[in-house]
Amino acid sequence: MHNRKISRVLVLAAALAVAAITPAVAQKPFVEVGKQPPITILVASTPWYPAFEKVVGLYEQQTGNQIKLDTTPFGGMLEKARNAVRTGKSPYDLMMLDTQWTIEFYEGGFVSPLKEIDAAFDLPKEVMSFGDSGYWNAQKRWRTADGGKLMAYTVLGNVQLLYYRADVLKQAGLAPPKTWGDVLAACTKLNDPPKTYGFVARGEKGNGIRYDWQSVMLAEGASVVKDPAAGDFTVTINSAQAKAALDLYIDLLKRCGPPNYGSLGQGDVIQLLATGKAPMGDVVTAAFASFEDPAKSAVVGKLETVPLPAGRNGGQGAVIGNWNAVIPKDAPDAQKKAALAFSRWFVTYDAQRAFAQAGGIPNRSDVYTSDLAKESRLRWMPAYLETQKFARQELGYAEGALVEQILGLRLNQALIGEMSSSKALNTAAKEIEELFKKNARKTGSLPPLPE
Amino acid sequence: MSPGALANRTFRHWSLLPAVFLFAVLTLYPLVNLVRMSVSTIEFTQGTEDWRFTPRANFAQLAADDVLRPALVNTLIFVAVSVAAEIVIGLALAIAVAGLSRGKQWVRTAMILPILVPPVAIGSMWKLMYNYDFGIFNQALTAVGAMPVNWLGSTQLALGSVIVVDIWHWVPFVFLILFAAVEGLPVDLLEAARVDGATRSQVVWRIMIPLLRPAIVVAFLFRSILAFKVFDEVFLLTSGGPGTATELVNLHLYKVFFEQNQLGYGALLSLAVIAAIVAFLMVARRASAAVQAR
Repeated sequence: MHNRKISRVLVLAAALAVAAITPAVAQKPFVEVGKQPPITILVASTPWYPAFEKVVGLYEQQTGNQIKLDTTPFGGMLEKARNAVRTGKSPYDLMMLDTQWTIEFYEGGFVSPLKEIDAAFDLPKEVMSFGDSGYWNAQKRWRTADGGKLMAYTVLGNVQLLYYRADVLKQAGLAPPKTWGDVLAACTKLNDPPKTYGFVARGEKGNGIRYDWQSVMLAEGASVVKDPAAGDFTVTINSAQAKAALDLYIDLLKRCGPPNYGSLGQGDVIQLLATGKAPMGDVVTAAFASFEDPAKSAVVGKLETVPLPAGRNGGQGAVIGNWNAVIPKDAPDAQKKAALAFSRWFVTYDAQRAFAQAGGIPNRSDVYTSDLAKESRLRWMPAYLETQKFARQELGYAEGALVEQILGLRLNQALIGEMSSSKALNTAAKEIEELFKKNARKTGSLPPLPE
Repeated sequence: MSPGALANRTFRHWSLLPAVFLFAVLTLYPLVNLVRMSVSTIEFTQGTEDWRFTPRANFAQLAADDVLRPALVNTLIFVAVSVAAEIVIGLALAIAVAGLSRGKQWVRTAMILPILVPPVAIGSMWKLMYNYDFGIFNQALTAVGAMPVNWLGSTQLALGSVIVVDIWHWVPFVFLILFAAVEGLPVDLLEAARVDGATRSQVVWRIMIPLLRPAIVVAFLFRSILAFKVFDEVFLLTSGGPGTATELVNLHLYKVFFEQNQLGYGALLSLAVIAAIVAFLMVARRASAAVQAR
């Protein structure tokens, strides 16, 4: 009895202590940034937006500085960003850009290098580089920290993970797949349409199939272009390895996916996993939070993640799909400084920790090795951190958007049977080579695959 | 000419100036600019616009555009099938509703609801209904023991599925135009035909439809122009896929302009679309004049 009384007193004292500390923590900034003018941020309406909004609220609360968020659907982001920087006076002081769009803005001279705003600004070493997508080497026309200027930092670094239903796999006597071959074997066993589709990934034309397939392509050791970082734009997409990767991907979707595999988008893939119709899927990390939300998911607590599987030779591949924050060149100087002040605050350990707790994907490695990684709702963290070892940027050149259009169409045509995988890759190679020739790149291509 | 008349004439000419100015600013300038863009390559470097005169390269790209051909074919199929179906259904509904003795206003109000729904909502709503696993159509089919249908994922069915949505959306528009025309038909003429022993079918085919021809032509022209410009529904439903099954010219134009950032080639493609619509309208106008003359 006495012990219980003591326990109660201790709990009460602890609660009071926490209550007393919490406002102090909330009010004391994670880093001192001073009084700044209000800024406007252009941000996409994405699954991670609510987490970002919460963290921005925390910044306002701690610093008293005001931030206005212009939340825009993904489809309208690029045009808003382009219009902002082409008019001479940007309405935004900080803009989130999809990694694919950054090259256009870096190369076009539309964003301010961060050190030009404040020479003392630097990213903490714990902030992950995400394939150097925040740097721009104008001479090489390449995103690299080697001789490049810091133009941006990653707000959210998405990578694909392999999601699987631990309970279903266990019941079927299967271990989490380690290779794409394992995925095919497991999904064939689990497939029971229309009740269960063994494996789901995007097959829809455009960015969907291009992005998802490229992970398999990288795992098979194939590439789109030989060595773009060194200026060698020889097209290698029609290699035997790329064909093997495409054949495998087609096999996976045809044998284990739903009949509408050729038009399956991200929303469909998430829906099939969330409703329990698919026990395995290739989905971005940012989707994890929605699977843990009982209002949106019938599989709360049942989905686990591992890094995307390896190819036949043990290689692994994952494509980074990150959002970078940039400061427009034509924003007023005081606004630029205010945007940089927020950025300095945002990349602190505490802010990134708060971001993770709110459902975001932190950009600092030390958050992933902290106690947070042990929390059940953040159990994707180890797989994510592991994936960072081999994840890379793809199509990181000025022609990237056009190459994506070409690949997005030809891969989809191969998937739905409009053309063979060899013909699709040969056609894509020819079109990409033409594109590089037009832009006076050093290019060439492999001999065509037998059709 | 007296000095007063001359002054009056001069004033009349000068009074047109504001309208001419507005026309130049709002119509001519954008058109001239589009033509200028269509023969250029426009890039943005170091924060400035860089225009290069490259007409040959742009035309060569137009000729070699692999996606444009299927997009043109799909657009023509889309326009022909959707507009024809909308005219037939809209006309049938207009005649049927006009013949109601009670509740005509209620039916008319209910009929026009689909036009009021924003295209974005229509695209999202139909996408859900067409969903292979959870959509209402396949739920209904499986409930009666039939196989589910791959509405948007099959290359054979996708364009048809998109056309159905367009028909649902725009039949009310055709209905409204034709309903007003049916209501305006001379009652004495229809009565006289009935008194002379014409059947309902004869009244429709021999009297009503010939009299409705000008209204049908107007509905046809309006709908054709709008059908050529369809974008939102297709973008939301299929984004042009699978493959090139539902790729339409406007969708392709959007991708060239906004996703690929090829402003010069995009402008040339826009001019080609404008030329195609104008040519179509001229042919349609001549055909309609020939039919009227008969």
